[in-house]
Amino acid sequence: MNNSMSRYVERFNVVERVLHWTLVVAFFILVFTGLGLYARTFFGYFDFFGGPQQGILFHKWAGVVFFTSSLLLALSHLKELFTFDQDDVLWLKKLGGYLSKEHEDIPQGKFNCGQKLFGIFSLVGTLVMGITGIIIWDPAAFGRGLTQFSLMLHALFFTLFMMGVVVHIYLTTLGNPGTISSMLYGHVTKTWAKAHAVKWYRKVQKG
Amino acid sequence: MARKAFLIDMSRCIACRSCQVACKQWNKLEPEATVNRGSYENPPQLTPQLYNQIQFIEQGQGDELRWLFMNQRCMHCGDAGCIKVCPSAGALYHTPEGMVAFNQDKCIECHYCVNGCPFDVPRYDRKKKVTKCHACVDRIANGLVPACVKACPTQTLRFGDRDALIAEAKAAGKTVYGESELKGLGAVYILEDAPQTYNLPAKPAIPASIFLWKDVIKPLGILGFWGAMGAALLHYVTFGPKKLDEYGRRHDDDLNPPEKGA
Ligand code: HEM
Ligand code: SF4
Ligand code: SF4
Ligand code: SF4
Repeated sequence: MNNSMSRYVERFNVVERVLHWTLVVAFFILVFTGLGLYARTFFGYFDFFGGPQQGILFHKWAGVVFFTSSLLLALSHLKELFTFDQDDVLWLKKLGGYLSKEHEDIPQGKFNCGQKLFGIFSLVGTLVMGITGIIIWDPAAFGRGLTQFSLMLHALFFTLFMMGVVVHIYLTTLGNPGTISSMLYGHVTKTWAKAHAVKWYRKVQKG
Repeated sequence: MARKAFLIDMSRCIACRSCQVACKQWNKLEPEATVNRGSYENPPQLTPQLYNQIQFIEQGQGDELRWLFMNQRCMHCGDAGCIKVCPSAGALYHTPEGMVAFNQDKCIECHYCVNGCPFDVPRYDRKKKVTKCHACVDRIANGLVPACVKACPTQTLRFGDRDALIAEAKAAGKTVYGESELKGLGAVYILEDAPQTYNLPAKPAIPASIFLWKDVIKPLGILGFWGAMGAALLHYVTFGPKKLDEYGRRHDDDLNPPEKGA
C-alpha cells in the first residue's frame, strides 16, 4: 500500500482497528449502563438492557472487554505516545493550529501532540476505571473508605472520559475531514498525511 | 406532619435485648446461628436479620468494670447518605414522619447505600436487597409505636414528636446526640460518655468521597459534557474544520503532488 503509485498511506493495521472498534462498542455500553447509576435522570436507560440488575451485569462485562482492548491498544503505541520533541512544544504553543483559520506549519509525527496527550489520558483513565471498577464490583468486599474513594474516582474519570471523547470524536470526524478513513479502512490519503503528520509521511515514504 | 423521632436514653438501658427480639418477631426475621465470643453481645453487629442490636462496651477501670450499652440501628438521618447515593428513586425514602424506610421491589441490588451511610447501617439479605431498621413504617403509619419501643421495659426507647422529645430531654439537663447533624437524626441519643466511647462519630457527616461524588463531580460532570459539546460546535462554526484541499498543497514543495483522480 505504501508504494509511490498509490494515493494512500497505511495508518492502522487490522489488529489496531479491531481493538479500537471493540473498545468503542464496549465504551458506549459502559456509558449508557453507567449513566443509569450516575443520576436518576438516566435511570430509564436500564430499560434498553433488560432492567437495572442486568444492566449492571452488562456494565461489568463490558468493563472487562473495554479494559483489555483499550490497554492492548495503548500498549501497542506506548513508545509513540511517550515520545515528545520540540515540534510538540510548538504544537502546544499554537494549540495545534485549531484557533486559527490559516494553516499553521507544525510538523508532527504519526500522532500529533494532542493525540499523544489524549492517548496517555486514555491509558491512565483505562487503568483507573479498571482498578476502581474491580474495587466497586462488589461494594461490600473491600473496606468502606477504599470503596467510597473508588466510587468517587470512577465517577470523576467517567466525566473526564465523556469530555475527552466528545473532543476526540469531533476532531476525528467533523473537525478534520479525511481522518476517519484511517480507522475504517486502515489508510489515509497522502494529502492527509502531508497536512497532518508530515514527519511520519516522510518516514513511511522512505520505506 | 411534624417530624417524629426515637429518643434513646442509653443511661436507662439494662441490656435485656427485648428490642432485638421484638424487632425480629414483628418483622419476621429469621433466627441466626451465632458463636459464643465471651460476651453477652450477640450477634456482634447488625445483620440482614437484625435491624437493631445492643452493643456491650466493657471497660476495665482498675478493679471496676464499667458496662455501657448502645442500641445500634439506622439513625433515620434528615440528610441521609443512603438516599443520596441510591440510583433507584423510592428504594430508600423519607416517610411522612421523617423516618427512612425502604422498598425492596425498587432496590436494584447495587449495594451503594452501605457506602453512603455515615454509620455503616444497611445490610443485604439473601435476595441481595437492602434491609435495615425502617422505624416500623407499617406500625407508625397506623398510630402504633415501633415494636422495639413497645417492648422496651425501661423507657430507654421512646418514639414520638421529635421537638417535644428533645425539649423534654434538655429540660431534664441532658445532652442529646444528633440534634442538628445531618439535618437532624431521627434517632437522637442520650449518652453517658463521649460519642466515640459508643463507637459513634463525634460529628457525623456524609463521607467526604461521597460528598465529592454526588454533590461536586456529578453536577460538574453534566456541565462538562455539555460544555465540551458546545465547544466543539462553536469551533466548527467559527474556526471551522481543517479542510484538506487547503492544506495539502502547502507541503507539496518537497513531496510528490497527489495524483489526480486516482
Ligand atoms: C474499565 C473497566 C470498568 C469496570 C471493571 C467497571 C466496573 C464498574 C462497576 C462494578 C460499577 C458499579 C456497578 C454496580 O455494581 O452498581 C461501575 C459503575 C459505573 N461505571 Fe464503570 N467500569 C469500567 C469502566 C467504565 C467506563 C469506561 C465508563 C464510562 C466512561 C464507566 C462508567 C461508570 C459509571 C458512570 C458508573 C456509575 C457510578 C457513578 O455514579 O459514578 N465505567 N463500573
Ligand atoms: S442497594 Fe438498593 S437501596 Fe441500596 S443504594 Fe442500591 S438500589 Fe438503593
Ligand atoms: S443511618 Fe445510614 S441507613 Fe440510616 S438513614 Fe442515615 S444514612 Fe441512611
Ligand atoms: S423500629 Fe421497628 S424495624 Fe426499627 S428496630 Fe425497632 S422494631 Fe425493628
